[in-house]
Amino acid sequence: MNILEWAWLIPVFPFLAFILISLLPKKGLWWEDGGGYAIAGAGGALALSVWVIWEVLNGHTLTVGAPTFDWLVIAGFKITFGIWIDQLTAVMLLVVSIVGTLVVVYSGGYMHEEAERRRRYYAEIMLFISVMYGLVIASNYLEMFIFWELVGLCSYLLIGFWYERPAAASAAKRAFIVTRVGDIMFMAGIIIIFKYVGSFDFGTLFANNAAATTAAMPKDMLTLATALIFGGAIGKSAQFPLHEWLPDAMEGPTTVSALIHAATMVKAGVYLTARTYPLLIHSPESLLFVGIIGGITALLAATVALAANDIKRVLAYSTISQLGYMILGLGAGGYLVIHGGSEAGYAAATFHLMNHAFFKALLFLCAGSVIHSVGTNDMRLMGGLGRKMPITSITMLVGALAIAGIPPLSGFWSKDEVLSAVYGAGEFHFTFFILWAMGVATAFLTAFYMFRMWFLTFSGSARSEYHAHESPKIMTVPLMILTALALTSGAALFIGAGFKAFILGSLGSIPVEPETETLGEIASAVFTSPFTYLVLGLVIVGILSAYRIYYMHGFNRTIFAAGIPGKFQKALENRWYISKFYDDFALVVVYGFSKLADLFDRYVIDGVVNGVAYLGARTGGVIRKAQSGNVQRYASIVIIGIVIILFFLLYVLPGGA
Amino acid sequence: MITIEYWLILSSLLLAIGAYGVLTRKNAIVVLMSIEIMLNAANINLVAFSSFHVTLHGTRDPSGMVFALFSIAIAAAEVAVGLAILLSVYRRYKTIDVDKINILRW
Amino acid sequence: MALFAGIPIISIILLMPIIGAIVTFTLGKRESYAKYTALAFSLAALILSIVVAFEFMVEPSSTEATGYHDGRRFFNYQFSAEHPWVKTLGISYIVGLDGISLPLFVLTTLLCTLSVVFAWDTKSRPKEFFGLILVLEVGVLGVFVSLDYFLFYVFWEVVLIPMYFMIGVWGGPKKDYAAIKFFIYTHVASLAMLVSIMAMFFQANTGSFSMESIALAGSSATGPRLFTAGFQLVVFAALFFGFGVKMPMVPFHTWLPDAHVEAPTAGSVLLAGLLLKMGGYGIIRVAIPTLPDGAASLQIVMAVIAIASILYGAILCLAQKDLKKMVAYSSISHMGFVLLGFATFTEIGIVAGVFQMFAHGLVTAVLFMMCGVVQHKCGTRMIPSLGGLSKSMPKASAMMTIGFLASLGLPGLVSFAAEFMVLASMFQTWGLWLFLPIISVAITAGYYLWALQRSMFGPMPEGVEAMHAHDVSWYEGIPVSILIVLIAIFGVFPAAMFQFINPAARIVFGLLGLGGG
Repeated sequence: MNILEWAWLIPVFPFLAFILISLLPKKGLWWEDGGGYAIAGAGGALALSVWVIWEVLNGHTLTVGAPTFDWLVIAGFKITFGIWIDQLTAVMLLVVSIVGTLVVVYSGGYMHEEAERRRRYYAEIMLFISVMYGLVIASNYLEMFIFWELVGLCSYLLIGFWYERPAAASAAKRAFIVTRVGDIMFMAGIIIIFKYVGSFDFGTLFANNAAATTAAMPKDMLTLATALIFGGAIGKSAQFPLHEWLPDAMEGPTTVSALIHAATMVKAGVYLTARTYPLLIHSPESLLFVGIIGGITALLAATVALAANDIKRVLAYSTISQLGYMILGLGAGGYLVIHGGSEAGYAAATFHLMNHAFFKALLFLCAGSVIHSVGTNDMRLMGGLGRKMPITSITMLVGALAIAGIPPLSGFWSKDEVLSAVYGAGEFHFTFFILWAMGVATAFLTAFYMFRMWFLTFSGSARSEYHAHESPKIMTVPLMILTALALTSGAALFIGAGFKAFILGSLGSIPVEPETETLGEIASAVFTSPFTYLVLGLVIVGILSAYRIYYMHGFNRTIFAAGIPGKFQKALENRWYISKFYDDFALVVVYGFSKLADLFDRYVIDGVVNGVAYLGARTGGVIRKAQSGNVQRYASIVIIGIVIILFFLLYVLPGGA
Repeated sequence: MITIEYWLILSSLLLAIGAYGVLTRKNAIVVLMSIEIMLNAANINLVAFSSFHVTLHGTRDPSGMVFALFSIAIAAAEVAVGLAILLSVYRRYKTIDVDKINILRW
Repeated sequence: MALFAGIPIISIILLMPIIGAIVTFTLGKRESYAKYTALAFSLAALILSIVVAFEFMVEPSSTEATGYHDGRRFFNYQFSAEHPWVKTLGISYIVGLDGISLPLFVLTTLLCTLSVVFAWDTKSRPKEFFGLILVLEVGVLGVFVSLDYFLFYVFWEVVLIPMYFMIGVWGGPKKDYAAIKFFIYTHVASLAMLVSIMAMFFQANTGSFSMESIALAGSSATGPRLFTAGFQLVVFAALFFGFGVKMPMVPFHTWLPDAHVEAPTAGSVLLAGLLLKMGGYGIIRVAIPTLPDGAASLQIVMAVIAIASILYGAILCLAQKDLKKMVAYSSISHMGFVLLGFATFTEIGIVAGVFQMFAHGLVTAVLFMMCGVVQHKCGTRMIPSLGGLSKSMPKASAMMTIGFLASLGLPGLVSFAAEFMVLASMFQTWGLWLFLPIISVAITAGYYLWALQRSMFGPMPEGVEAMHAHDVSWYEGIPVSILIVLIAIFGVFPAAMFQFINPAARIVFGLLGLGGG
């Protein structure tokens, strides 16, 4: 029995949990108002995912030929739903299943005080996990788009979980609308492809190095379509300029932030871009666009994180920045594929995707632990938590080290691979050198702000009154598991055949050189390159700077507040005024225009209608004055009429006789 | 000889007089009388054509005179109805001045 | 057909509401029984129509694309019946169902039944109200099944009267203005339609008002083709105006917001759910197939008006403070998609347009019912005055959320397949102009979520709290729940409905190919 054919069951477990949690009466909900079902659902999906991943590791994939289900038969076109399991799917499954299950377990403790609301929480989380799985195993663009939007829906529901808080409701709405703008682009892109090729299926579109697609589509349309599909990724993965929804999304519970906005949903954009590789590589302009967006986002977000005071905001911007890395890696990787047949960038980006999921989830859950015990998000009110919450403190330190990129933690390997791929792409297009420099600068900033966060939170002495205690085991155990993963997932590069060889399979029929580097060669390439040491040096400088500024006493931080640094600081605090710009635009331009249109509609268009009616009434009012009531008047008009008619009949008609 | 034209001119004159009376007189009864004059004008016309039919076309045709008899009868009935209406109007509005009876206006 | 062979099932279904209306109106003193009789008859019609639908599936119409079968039948109709009515004028009673009218037919019986349930607690003059719902049902059903122009027109006009009374008697503060405006505006449009029908009748010179004979004489490939290009252009323009006012199309839409705001909830549901579909149905049944050359000449105009409706309707929604008015404008926007689908002259577009009519009927019913719930429980529909309703009315809040999400085209709910396919067909015909209507997808999300956020979420303002807003009553909850279930089912399995529409649309498309440019 080919388990891969049953992979469609993976989303079914959490979906069943969702149905049960939503519909069962209160008594039947068992532990934690549905938490038990949630863990069962997530766990079942995890088990099946692991089995599937095992199969993929052994070289089995299921791409074409999977079972399908006719979703839409329209005018001779058939749109079917199916599953598509390859190595890239396996990576995503790994991430979603592990982080998903751990977050659900963690929620058992984190959401304990929510009482009745837990039920809604678990239902929504289960729905989210099931549609996320659906997105990952989808076999065509339309199916993926459907799950894409459903994921957005769950994100909306979960961000607005505490809906009576206006900030939360507003953030949820904003997230949905901004991602919808991205979705529009995604929709347009796949519609363009559909017109030319007549199908959405990955199998049809990607076969033979996308021969059918490139033959059917004119070049500029293909570039437009791929750029638009990437537009969807810009929205969902919070890239510039559609990135502002992610920091606002922190209004939701921290578990939601960890699951959705760090590890899974935001990765969907990266996954989409990676999945579209067979089409992207025929369109270098799109790839350049991808890279530029990634690079700008990475640097921009890192700068804003420097000034954030809310612990979750720092992590949110850090996520945006790291996603920028992945996107940049994909963009550069595309050039490497086109020009050198090398999958370096692609492999690096997907590797970073996997690692980032683990350590970012770790960081968020640690932050959640802190928030849960201290009761506030504001780092300025924290400090000295290291003594009170040792486990959290250490696990968060590991996470910070991982993201900063200290060997031998995972972040070091993947960041290094990404940066070297970008540098390599610089050979083929100059812009990538600039982007590489931006990436390196970002690495420095990442280290700096991460440790700023850690020092502000855990070291020194308490800056405000709080009662902190370590979190219960149900929360710390997932932290420890994630720590172990953050420490070791870098090793995936070296285990077995190595990650790079593994992921090669998912490129399908794209012409790439087979991976010939031995594991030893990979390691030595990393350690012999001068850039590795450059980046590592900058990272260490970053950590030490943070140490100097935030840990050691005696540093006057007010120098940041005045003069040019002060303006800079203000800009950072206001997130480069981007959010403000969007708000103003929406309010003044869009809303103003709609108000104008409303006035137009009511007074001009309806004015015409009412005007016609008024005219009719006035005309009637005038004409009726002819009814004088005087019979003789009427009679005289009759007689005059008769005379005229007679005149007409007798003289005019016969020709004036 | 008296040709038909004389009679036709007579009837048109009577019609005009009657029309003038209908259109300009204030007293409703005078209006009714003017209507009678107009009817009589039409009758004269009919009888004239009927009696001169032999002279003009050669054959006798009494249908004009028959028509005139009908017309007289109907005129009588119409006057009766008209006077009845006038009486009701007088009872209600206490006047028979047509200028004053203009309720059916805008 | 096997089940109903020999039984004039459509006429029976048409009779149900007629008898029901008569019974309901003549109930005399026992007014409280009005709702039961109304429910009984409309439910009977509903059950029969569902059985008809399943029977239809047995042979869902031939898939031949030539459009003319045995030279006599235009479309392949099922359950048809034909009786001469006024021989000297050529008027007959011809009815039949095909893939395009079947979804709308079932939608009609469904919505009328659900409206009867929703209006369960009408206190003032219940028997007239329920009787009027039944009369409306007759009219709309008749429009969807009649295949003779005169019959079509009669039923079309029949629809105006109950709606006028519903708005004018049971309506809101400006009901007189709204009712008169609705009646006169749509009546003028019907007159344009009548003139066109007369023109076609005289030009075709067949002596019969039946749709097929006129079409065969006027524009068939095998027949005499008596409709010249100029004639088709003028008549199509007039028909387009007539049907377009009903749809409603910008700039002839201004009767709709007033009518909806002032109408009672059941009236709004039927107005938006059914009457608007009559316009779209008219275009695809009468205007385009009978006058393909005229349609081709005006194709750009249709598309421009459709896109204008989509965008204009959506933008106006943003500025509305009244929940119901917002939903009314969103109806304008969604019906724009229907017209756009038809205007693309592609098979995909036609199928998508018909499906969008069905989808919108379901969704808009939910939306207006929820507006009614809000009005009923909170005393106001003004969005700025509402807030925090999730706390006091969780069930209503959930239903409203689902309704809004369905309307903004969330995949998994019924509107998505329709809108997506309309957009796909738009690109097929006009390429990158796609970006104009696609903007509405974001705007729609914007105004709905803003309305949700303002009314359902956030803190509660003082006035509403004092009302102790209760959650939905059973007679409000059941219709909405049934509709939501249907929305979800057809959202996940749209193929179920598409299998009806595809063959009929193929025939329409074939007609365009024969006559069109």
